Amino acid sequence: MTTPMLEIRDLHVRVEEREILKGVNLVLPAGEVHAIMGRNGSGKSTLSYVLAGRDGYEITSGEVLMDGQNILDLDPNERATAGLFLAFQYPIEIPGVSTMTFLKAAINAQLKARGEAVLSTPDFMRAVKDAGASLQINSDMLKRALNVGFSGGEKKRAEILQMALLKPKLCVLDETDSGLDIDALRIVSDGVNALRSPTRSMLVITHYQRLLNYIVPDVVHVFSDGRIVKSGGKELALELEAEGYAGFSEAAA
Amino acid sequence: MALQIPVRIGPAEQSLIDQLNSVGATAEATRFAVIGLPTRKVESYHYTDLKQLLRTVPPLASVATSASPPALRIAGAHQLMIANGAVQESSTAPAGVIVGKTAGSALGPRDDLLVRLNSALATETLSLVLESSVDPVIQIDRRTEGPAGHAADSARIFVADGASATIVETYSGSNEPHLTNHASFVQLGKGATLTHITVDLSSKSTTHFATSEYLLAEGARLRTLTIHAGAGLARSQVFARFAGERAHADFTGLNLVGDGQHGDITIDISHAVPNTTSKEIFKAIARGRSKAVFQGRIVVARDAQKTDAKMMMQGLMLSDEAEILSKPELEIYADDVVCGHGSTCGALDEDHMFYLMSRGVPKAEAETMLVRGFLAELTDPIVDAALKEALEAVLDGWLGG
Repeated sequence: MTTPMLEIRDLHVRVEEREILKGVNLVLPAGEVHAIMGRNGSGKSTLSYVLAGRDGYEITSGEVLMDGQNILDLDPNERATAGLFLAFQYPIEIPGVSTMTFLKAAINAQLKARGEAVLSTPDFMRAVKDAGASLQINSDMLKRALNVGFSGGEKKRAEILQMALLKPKLCVLDETDSGLDIDALRIVSDGVNALRSPTRSMLVITHYQRLLNYIVPDVVHVFSDGRIVKSGGKELALELEAEGYAGFSEAAA
Repeated sequence: MALQIPVRIGPAEQSLIDQLNSVGATAEATRFAVIGLPTRKVESYHYTDLKQLLRTVPPLASVATSASPPALRIAGAHQLMIANGAVQESSTAPAGVIVGKTAGSALGPRDDLLVRLNSALATETLSLVLESSVDPVIQIDRRTEGPAGHAADSARIFVADGASATIVETYSGSNEPHLTNHASFVQLGKGATLTHITVDLSSKSTTHFATSEYLLAEGARLRTLTIHAGAGLARSQVFARFAGERAHADFTGLNLVGDGQHGDITIDISHAVPNTTSKEIFKAIARGRSKAVFQGRIVVARDAQKTDAKMMMQGLMLSDEAEILSKPELEIYADDVVCGHGSTCGALDEDHMFYLMSRGVPKAEAETMLVRGFLAELTDPIVDAALKEALEAVLDGWLGG
C-alpha cells in the first residue's frame, strides 16, 4: 500500500480546558480530494489550524502524518516547506507588506529551505503573472498591501494564487466558499480544480454543500462534535443538504 | 510668585553653569543655578528626567581636527557640514540655494532648557535660503568629532514663496560620550514645499538633543520625519506654528531604542490661524531594556476654526523589558474643528506571524517583514528614491543590529 498524503490518527486537541477534537481519524490518499462537512462549531476550523501548526492548541494525543512524516513537532513554516498549504477562511490583512513582496519572500523561503535555487525577479514576475491571469488578479492588486482592503472575493483569489505558486502537496481549504458570490465562487473553484493532480491531495472544509458542486470530492466526511462520524461518496453531501446535520449528531451520540 | 528655593546642584549642572559663565551667558548661568536640570516635576520632561539621566557634561567641544566617515551617504545629495558647532566652508551650492552663516543660534526665545542652552552656546548658524525648486537632496551633516565634547550647533532654513526642497540632517561623530545640542529653525514661505528629515546616527555613548522649530506661511506644505537610531539618550523636540491659512504639515517620527537606551520625541504643534491641517504619525520600536517616550501636544487657538489635526502614535515592543510611554494631548480653544488622537502599543501580532509562517517564511524573516511593514507608512511618502533607500538601510541596519 502506498503512503497516504495525510493520515490523522486518533487526534485529540484541547483549547484551554475544553476538548475540541475528540479522536479524529482520517486517511487521505495522494491525488484525492476529500471534503469535511460539519456545522459551525463542530471543530472543523480547529482541525485546519492544528494541521497548519497555529499556537494555542494543546494536542493531548494522536498523530498527524503528511506523506509518512509526523508534522506535529514542526513549526508552521517547516510544515509549509514540507508541502502543506492552508487556505484561510479569513485571510489575514498585513499592512505595509505588499502582496508582491510577500509572495516573493514565501516562494524563495520555501525554495531555500528545500535547497533549491531561488527565483530571479523576471522568473518570479512571470510565474505570478501566469498564475494570476486565470484568477483575474491584476498587477494593481499585487502592489497593494497583503489582503488590506481586499474584497472577500479578492482575498480568496489571493489565497488560491498563493497555492498555485507554492505548489503544495497537501492543500487544506478552510471554508473557501464563505463570503463569495456565485461568480467569485466559480473563479476560485476553477483555480482549485486546475491544481488537482495525481500527486496533490486536498482537504476541503465546508459547512455548505454548494462548494462541492464546483469542487467535486472523492470522499465526503461528516464532522460532528470533534470527530468524523460518517464517510461516504459525494452523494453524502447531498444527503446532508437534504436532511441536515441533526441525524448524524444523534448517530454519533 | 513664590520664591524659588535653589535646588541642590549636581556635577553635570555645575559643569553647565561653568560653561555658561565661560561664554559670557552669566544671566542664563545664574538662572540655571537656581532651577537646575528639569526633573519629572517639569511636565514636558516628566518621562525624561534630565537630573537623573544626565550625570556628567563633557567640556565645550573645541575645533574638530579629524572626521569620522559619513554616517549616511545619499546618492546625488549636496552636502553641507557643521563640525563641533562650526559651519564648514562648502563648495558651490546647487542652483537656487544660497548658503551662508550668521552669528549666534537660530532659535527664538522659549522657556525650555535645551533651547536656552542652544541659544547661549551656539556660536554660529548655517543659513540656507532656498529660492526656487531645488532638485538635489540637501544634506546637513552635523558631526561631533574628537574627544568627548559638549557641542551646540544651529541652522536656519528659509524656503522662499513657491519654492520646494528636501533637506536631510544627520547627526554623528566619534565614539565618545559627547553631549550635543542641535537646533534648526525652518521657515516656509507662501506655497513653499519642504521635506525635512532628521536622523540621529550618533554613537550609543552620545547624548543627543535636537530642537526643530517650524513656521508655516499661507499654503505651505511640510513633511517632517524625525528618526532616532543612535544615541544612548536622545530627545528631539519639534515646535511648529501654522501662521498662514491653508497650510498643511505631516509630522512623522520614528523612535528606535535598544537595550540601555532612552529616546524621547516631544512635539508641540500650534494651529494659530483658521483653515490649517496637520497629521502626526509617530512610531516607536523598543527592544531590550529600553524606554521610548512620545509626547504630542496640539494646540488649536480660539480663532483657528476649521483646523483638521489628527495625531497617531504606535508603539511596537520587541521585548518584555521595553517601555513605551505615550502622552498625546489636544488643547482646543476653537469650536469648529476636527481633531483627534490615538495611541496603540503592543507586540507583533501573532495572527500576522502565523499567516506569514504558514506560507513558509521563517520566524526571524517574518518578524523583519512585519517590522518593515510597520515602518512603511513613514518611508513610503518619501519621493526621492536614493534618499528612501538610504533611510531604509538605516532602519534595516538597526533591525539587524
